[in-house]
Amino acid sequence: MESLFGIPIGQLLVTLLVVFALGMAATAFLAWRNPVLFKMAARNLPRRPAQTALIVLGLMLATLLFSASFTTGDTLAHSIRVQALTDIGLVEVEIESERREVSGRTAYFDAATVGRVREALAGAPVDGILPALRETVPAVAADSSRNEPRVDVLGVDPAGLDGFDPIVTASGERLDVAALAANEVYVSQDLAESLRLGVGDRAQLYLRQVPSVVEVRGIYANGGYFIGNLGMLLPLESMQAISQRPGAVSPILVSNRGGIVSGADATDAVLAALEPIANELRLDAQPVKRDALEQADEAGSSFATVFLLFGNFSIMAGVLLIFLIFVMLAAERKRELGIGRAIGMFQGHVVRLFLFEGALYALLASAVGSLLGIVVAFAMVRIIAAALGQLELDIVFNFQWRNVLIAYTLGMATTFLIVLFAAWRVSHLNIVRAVRDIPEPRARPTPLRRLVTRPHRFLVAAFARGYLAVVLGILLTASGLSSTQAGPFMLGTSLVIIGVPLALHHAARLNERIAYTVAGVLLVAWWLLPFDALEGILPDFQQGIEMFILSGVMLVIGAVWAIMYNLDLLLRGIKAVFRRNSRLTPVLQTSIAYPMANRFRTGMTLAMFSLVIFTLLVVGFITAAFSAAFTDVARVTGGFDVRAEASFTNPIPDLRAAVDASGAFDIDDFTVIGAWNGGPASAKQQGSAAEPVDRFVTGINDDYANGVNYGFTLKDSRYATDRDVWRALVTEPDIMVVSAGLVPSRSNFNVGGPEQTFQLEGFYIDDGVLPEVHIEAAAPVGGGTKTFRVIGVLEDGAFYSNSMVTSQASVDALFGQPVPELIYMLRLRPGADPEAIATRLEETFLTSGLRATNLQTEVREIGSANISLNNLLQGFMALGLIVGIAALGVIAARSVVERRQQIGMLRAVGFQRGMVQASFLIESSFIALLGIAIGTALGMALSVNVVNEIGASVAGVRFVVPWWNIVIVVVVAYAASLLTTFLPARQAANVYPAEALRAVE
Amino acid sequence: MPENIVESHDVHKTYESNGLAVHALRGIDLAILKGQMVAIMGPSGCGKTTLLNTFSGIDDITRGEVIIEGQSIHRLSDRQRTRYRARRMGFVFQSYNLLPVLTAVENIELPLLVAGVEPKAARARALEVLRQVGLPDQANKRPGQMSGGQQQRVTIARALANQPAIVWADELTGALDSETSGEIMDLVVRLNKEEGQTFVIVTHDANVAKRADRIVHMRDGLIETDTRAAAGV
Repeated sequence: MESLFGIPIGQLLVTLLVVFALGMAATAFLAWRNPVLFKMAARNLPRRPAQTALIVLGLMLATLLFSASFTTGDTLAHSIRVQALTDIGLVEVEIESERREVSGRTAYFDAATVGRVREALAGAPVDGILPALRETVPAVAADSSRNEPRVDVLGVDPAGLDGFDPIVTASGERLDVAALAANEVYVSQDLAESLRLGVGDRAQLYLRQVPSVVEVRGIYANGGYFIGNLGMLLPLESMQAISQRPGAVSPILVSNRGGIVSGADATDAVLAALEPIANELRLDAQPVKRDALEQADEAGSSFATVFLLFGNFSIMAGVLLIFLIFVMLAAERKRELGIGRAIGMFQGHVVRLFLFEGALYALLASAVGSLLGIVVAFAMVRIIAAALGQLELDIVFNFQWRNVLIAYTLGMATTFLIVLFAAWRVSHLNIVRAVRDIPEPRARPTPLRRLVTRPHRFLVAAFARGYLAVVLGILLTASGLSSTQAGPFMLGTSLVIIGVPLALHHAARLNERIAYTVAGVLLVAWWLLPFDALEGILPDFQQGIEMFILSGVMLVIGAVWAIMYNLDLLLRGIKAVFRRNSRLTPVLQTSIAYPMANRFRTGMTLAMFSLVIFTLLVVGFITAAFSAAFTDVARVTGGFDVRAEASFTNPIPDLRAAVDASGAFDIDDFTVIGAWNGGPASAKQQGSAAEPVDRFVTGINDDYANGVNYGFTLKDSRYATDRDVWRALVTEPDIMVVSAGLVPSRSNFNVGGPEQTFQLEGFYIDDGVLPEVHIEAAAPVGGGTKTFRVIGVLEDGAFYSNSMVTSQASVDALFGQPVPELIYMLRLRPGADPEAIATRLEETFLTSGLRATNLQTEVREIGSANISLNNLLQGFMALGLIVGIAALGVIAARSVVERRQQIGMLRAVGFQRGMVQASFLIESSFIALLGIAIGTALGMALSVNVVNEIGASVAGVRFVVPWWNIVIVVVVAYAASLLTTFLPARQAANVYPAEALRAVE
Repeated sequence: MPENIVESHDVHKTYESNGLAVHALRGIDLAILKGQMVAIMGPSGCGKTTLLNTFSGIDDITRGEVIIEGQSIHRLSDRQRTRYRARRMGFVFQSYNLLPVLTAVENIELPLLVAGVEPKAARARALEVLRQVGLPDQANKRPGQMSGGQQQRVTIARALANQPAIVWADELTGALDSETSGEIMDLVVRLNKEEGQTFVIVTHDANVAKRADRIVHMRDGLIETDTRAAAGV
């Protein structure tokens, strides 16, 4: 993983290390200058081991999330890279022709071209130049009749093998291609196992329906030469004979100077050396090694980005916890600090004391989090590998200490900053009240005019009293309006919603409860407005993934405020419900009075729980909505049951006729045989200044146009129905439809995925209207240029379609020759078995190398993989629950100490041990359940909007309540909370009344 | 003839403090009549609070016996003792020990609820004792909103709410000024006369002790003198 959110990893590491080093150096210097304070701070850690453990658990979460995300990204990048390097070997550049054969395959070179390439690369940093001939053909074992529809057969010039991978057996014995006679081959290990071939066995290859028999002379270990694991190697001349192309070469493989990875560094020089002849000879030189390495890295970065983005809420909850912990530690040390100040410590000494303690906690917690993150990532990649099993990717666990160090320093920096702020806040204590452990009275707010000379206090006060929030809100709203960005607009309006009631409370003595309740309720209502209503207010606004994060934060703030300022009403209701049970009443009385009295602690803990539960459930709802879409297989596949793919080397001119003639099928089983032809073209929007990009242009036949069920999000107003658009594609010339991905949306929630290289300009999919748009497509050499009018934009759920679709006739015209059909989309009659038909198709058209897939199975597998990945994401985010649980544990542990005398009194007046324990457990349960309820309610409410919005463009997506998901989340969260508070509750129950009544902390 | 409500025979209490054995009580023989107000006095560390804690059952004894209302209190299980305290005892502490998160009336009704009294009845009784101690308008105030004297009155009200047989008070006026202390003692004496509860008051304050029926002086874990003991009790 080489970059994170666009920042090069190296740069990020250096910056963080510098900040970390400076911070630690400053702290170490202060510790050296204040050894007594440092000793005091350090001795506090082992004072209450259970509490320290809980604090470390809570503080380490942010680091754990960073570390797990980076390590997962590293592992995936490394695994993909290893796979790619194994496949590609020492090949750095692959040179093919830009021209195409009639079959659609890239054209062959001749010996003269090979000679020109050698000349051009004479001075380039190249180890080897290998003329080769590669075809992908079906192979059948002569003895066993086992077959493989796609085998990469590569003929290589033995004289050009220097600089390339040695061909070795699994035991390390070298195999010499030059020693092979005509029609003798080496086969890869995987192919040998699949076809049960041994040395001396024979196999048949089919090229353009002509069989060739080859004999196995050796079995090589998989990998190298940029052919798949199912491969064969033989001399170039033999291959030219088998393919009936004497002298033909395609591709030319180039190995750069350097090792298997470092060779990629010379790619630019090699490409530059080829440039002079590239245009003339129509060469297409692809930097395959460098591309593979970059793709591996991008994949790793994408995963890391996704996990980090969704882990944001947990990280935010972690920040709240850090603050809560240090406020509580301050409360615990209040008397000591008061005594310290009384005997001469300055405020700065108090800050340093907390800084030292915070730094020690941070050092420990960040180390634990970084290392645990590696463990968590290990589990995560196992799940990812299982989910992506169809890709057959070997997961090679890998982490880079560099990235673990970044996680460590990020975690340290986060904790340290919060500690600094908390320490400064704590240092402002009243000495007498601290020594006597008397609570600070509620301070009357200082009039703003008296704070004018103290700018920072003025700003803080002005914001807290709503005035500055209103001003900032208006400015942000205006900024959002002018830039048509939803983020600043919604944030600005939210600040106004928060600021106005607060300002009225301070300026016009509006009742505090009313002020905060109004602010909270309005905030929730504003952010839960249906997206339709918002689009009515802000029709042209753009938004991205930041809206998801903002919405979560604002909803939780609003809900927690509204509830905290009306908690007494809620509690009255609870008491009224349980009033009949007089045994429970005294326990309830005490257990719910404490959360009410400690509004700050309770509010922070509620916010932590709500944030995490909210995000967990939103992801759960979205997963359920998409799963619902995937259960309707016909909708996902466009109404087709089987997809069949032929190969360039053995196309089937007319599948319907071939199926009918085979005698192996009842042709009536096939109600639709849709067919695609197509090829890569260079495309751009007419009138756009953007450079053309390569895109595959697909041509459909009549059957497909009449049978496909996909609809259109946008269509030309001249066509009344979706079917009219499909019919027009095959009856009218030079028109096409495009996928939704080619049209920009104002809502861009693309997280971690590849950037779209080609998007139409001048309109958005959200506009609901398709303007006059034309696309210019230029075929590779030998074809022509055509301008297509876009008459439709496919719905988002058209998963089995391509990005540019026109008629087969238009494709033939574009490429200047008939382009064979290579992909078939088949609909079967009701009752026909798609699995059986797919298998029979492969058997019947074995010599054509036809691959047939049962789409029902494939869709189910994809759906299952999606669910697995989303469950993994949920599990990752659920780590954030550690924060809420740690918070409850810390509060409970602290409460046992704070209320020791009160517990003694309760025991004295008749509270049994069990009642004391129950009181603590009920108190924690109340906070946990309320936080869970808030998160669940908000998650559900927002999910309705999100799913409805997605469902408007992706057919089949609908709101489904994932009951099991909700139950599991709620039960696990609650059970874990109870577990954490069980020990403190037991401790409270075991408080000896006599000792407690004398207790002084 | 008034009967003994509390009798102790050779009560010893030893506990560990910083690795050292502390013999807080070294053989206490004491009998307290029903309805009596007894002051326990002595220098710091003499064992007065330990006596109060062990006799009330909050703390265990090392040896001996404490009989309350004819029951050997330390033969009961912790559960039975706790239940007994809830129903038959009241406690007043120097540092009030009111729950800061409950209002005055909620603090007072707490022992009643613990003893199993119906919530409505508990609330009514709590308001009644609040009136008795002269604070009917403080019902919905929290301890933080009351003066020291008011808090101590609420504590006394809480101690009396369940009409206990005995009220144990540790430094009843320790945190109060002399005027307020006098008011509190007036209240206690009046309630003692009106309700007939037995009061055992640990105190440093001679003015408080003067108001009691009997003064027991302790020193080094033993009863040194028991004034008025010779007056026919």
